[in-house]
Amino acid sequence: MASEIGKLSDFKDGQKGILKSIDDDAIATKLISMGMLPGKIIELVRRIPFGGGIYVKVEDMVMALRIVEADHIIVEDL
Amino acid sequence: MLPKQDFKVALIGNPNAGKSSVFNNLTGLRQKVGNFPGVTVDKKTGMFVIEGKTINVIDLPGTYSLYPNSADERIVLNIITNPNDNSFPDAIVYIADATQLERHLLLFTQLRDLNIPTILCLNMMDIVEEQGINLDIKKLEAYFNTDIISLNARSGSGMQELKQQILLLSNMSVLTRKKMFYQPQPKELEMAEKIRFEIPEVRSTYQAILLAHHFNALPHLNTTWKETISKITKNVGFEDLRFQITETLQRFNSLQPIIQEVVIKKKENAEKTFTDVIDEVVTHAFWGPILFFGILFLIFQSIFTFAEIPKNGIEHLFIYTNTFIKEKLGDFWLTDLFTNGILAGLSGVLAFIPQIMILFLFITLLEEVGYMARAVYLFDRVMQKVGLNGRSIVALVAGGACAIPAIMSTRTISNKKERLITILVTPFISCSARIPVYTLLVGFVVQSTHHGFFNEQGLVFTGLYLLGIVTALSASFVLKKILKTEENTFLALELPSYKLPHWRNVFLTLYEKVKTFITQAGSTIMVVSIFLWFLASFSPSPKRIITDIENYKTTHTSASDSLTYQNYESSKKLEYSFAGYLGKAIEPVIRPLGFDWKIGIALLSSFAAREVFVGTMATIYSVGDAADNTETIRDKMIKEKRPDGTPLYTLATSLSLLIFYVFALQCMSTLAVVQRETKSWFWPIIQFIFMGLLAYVSSFIVFRLFS
Repeated sequence: MASEIGKLSDFKDGQKGILKSIDDDAIATKLISMGMLPGKIIELVRRIPFGGGIYVKVEDMVMALRIVEADHIIVEDL
Repeated sequence: MLPKQDFKVALIGNPNAGKSSVFNNLTGLRQKVGNFPGVTVDKKTGMFVIEGKTINVIDLPGTYSLYPNSADERIVLNIITNPNDNSFPDAIVYIADATQLERHLLLFTQLRDLNIPTILCLNMMDIVEEQGINLDIKKLEAYFNTDIISLNARSGSGMQELKQQILLLSNMSVLTRKKMFYQPQPKELEMAEKIRFEIPEVRSTYQAILLAHHFNALPHLNTTWKETISKITKNVGFEDLRFQITETLQRFNSLQPIIQEVVIKKKENAEKTFTDVIDEVVTHAFWGPILFFGILFLIFQSIFTFAEIPKNGIEHLFIYTNTFIKEKLGDFWLTDLFTNGILAGLSGVLAFIPQIMILFLFITLLEEVGYMARAVYLFDRVMQKVGLNGRSIVALVAGGACAIPAIMSTRTISNKKERLITILVTPFISCSARIPVYTLLVGFVVQSTHHGFFNEQGLVFTGLYLLGIVTALSASFVLKKILKTEENTFLALELPSYKLPHWRNVFLTLYEKVKTFITQAGSTIMVVSIFLWFLASFSPSPKRIITDIENYKTTHTSASDSLTYQNYESSKKLEYSFAGYLGKAIEPVIRPLGFDWKIGIALLSSFAAREVFVGTMATIYSVGDAADNTETIRDKMIKEKRPDGTPLYTLATSLSLLIFYVFALQCMSTLAVVQRETKSWFWPIIQFIFMGLLAYVSSFIVFRLFS
């Protein structure tokens, strides 16, 4: 199965992927220090429609992100 | 040399590590909340005694790393990089959530590189067991070459060992230098060496690296140091964000293998955790907000239902005490100062406490179980649209009880602009002090109370609340366009797993919030109330009172001892007091809104607390001590006429007055707390003028439309 690389914000609800990188340094510093590390499995659990927040799981951790933050999170399809 | 002071330890850890449970467990009620100098971040300190030795404990705000994103988090960095700081600890007690070991050890490795003695505590060991995980603590101890304390701060297990360990550390003086956990890049090492050479006060390589990252934002560095560091970082080609990312990733890379050895999972995790199941509803795009408004409804119902009883009790107790003191001490100005000035002010402060306690009980509970973070997630987008932050929802909800604790709750908002806007618009939310005013006036707006299923007065009430909420959101939208900022705004919020509330924590938080309210808002309310007493009790022309009263006596001979006479006397005293003259002085200004000088006095006296309006009305209309008898005051007000003989309290006047109370910032305590939180008089003054103008213009329009 060919894996694709894209943005977390393009994920569908319930879709899982591997975190590759975060392409904005300011957002990266914040998220990495919270344990959102490249190589971890990330799941977009659900979102609030019309550009609302997204609910993600990174292993045991549950996090709320904004779409603009998720735009910079590069993930590989699982 | 000064004698060695008591031993000082600081509690440090990530958010949700259970730090406050540890703090409450160590110190109990022997804690106080102050401020860190120069910033409005709560500084919680406490102490405990072990084997005759006093240990001071500071609870520092939770943070993920020494690269802070909010004012709260910055405190940790400021203190830990400044050995001259008053709060600089002799030792650190580091609290890590044992169920999230990898993430929670990042900050520990950073602190360790600063060479400050540190005790590592693994908290929530009970949950680790429940999850079927075995931790090889011996291996972790060997890896970090340190003793580890296993804690369950909620039940209190392990706390005695922690105290012993702190005692042990306080008796040791030699600190063995440990190898740095982080291996700096050659550029960083070169830079750190240069910094330490130029500024010998810098104790360690990692401290030098932190200074290079943060020197611009650190208040304790003098300009020469800042210039030196700035020059060195430029020369070596230091890249702030890049180096930070490299450092953090390297730390995690080193941690990962050892964590894999230490954490032994006995069984695979269930497909869905308890938290997952609950969040399917709580964070659902449709059911989530419905649940939120349901909770909100429950909170306000409880405030109105349960707070009324103790509130009336407190008010009656004060009325009783007042009468008792007046009888015992006789009619004398000091008695009057004591009863109508000091006791009235105290009653005003205490009457709010039941409401504030109920509100904070709910907020603390929601915070404890982990719900608040979900509410922030649900409303972040809507709040962003109007220039606020998801975290503003907490302040806006709390504003429904009282703006003072609400404004204090904005400290967790990291973006300065969003925090400022939240502070500025929160007073638009109708607080509980406006309720008595609404109750009194709403009767003049709608006569019949029941109309089929609808309670018309209830509808007007709801309308006034909605008006406040809509105005708050519109005002923040306008402010968003006006205020400029370059600062990043983040949500990136960890949603903690749901937990049962721990009553000891709830009780201690509640106790601390109420204490803060009494000392901070309470003192302002007291001062204003004594000042207002002075204005209402002294007259620039006492002779006029005597003349009027003599006239009254001659026309009403039979009534000279009755209650009617006493009430007439106090209303005349108020009319010719400084307050009365002030009311008359502002009458030309407020006449276009349909108000007369009597309403003017009531408006001025509302600055102590808006509900004082009702009491002042009672005095003006000679209702006397029946201050809580709204019906009596309303009867008097209905009879009140303008000089031309038409009734004063028409639909137009009453609506205009209601609108005025929705918008105007007539609360000294709020102004004082805004000044404290924004550290300037500029914002409270702007806020006062803006809300006042809006109130004036809206009341004017409403009065014109309806007359």
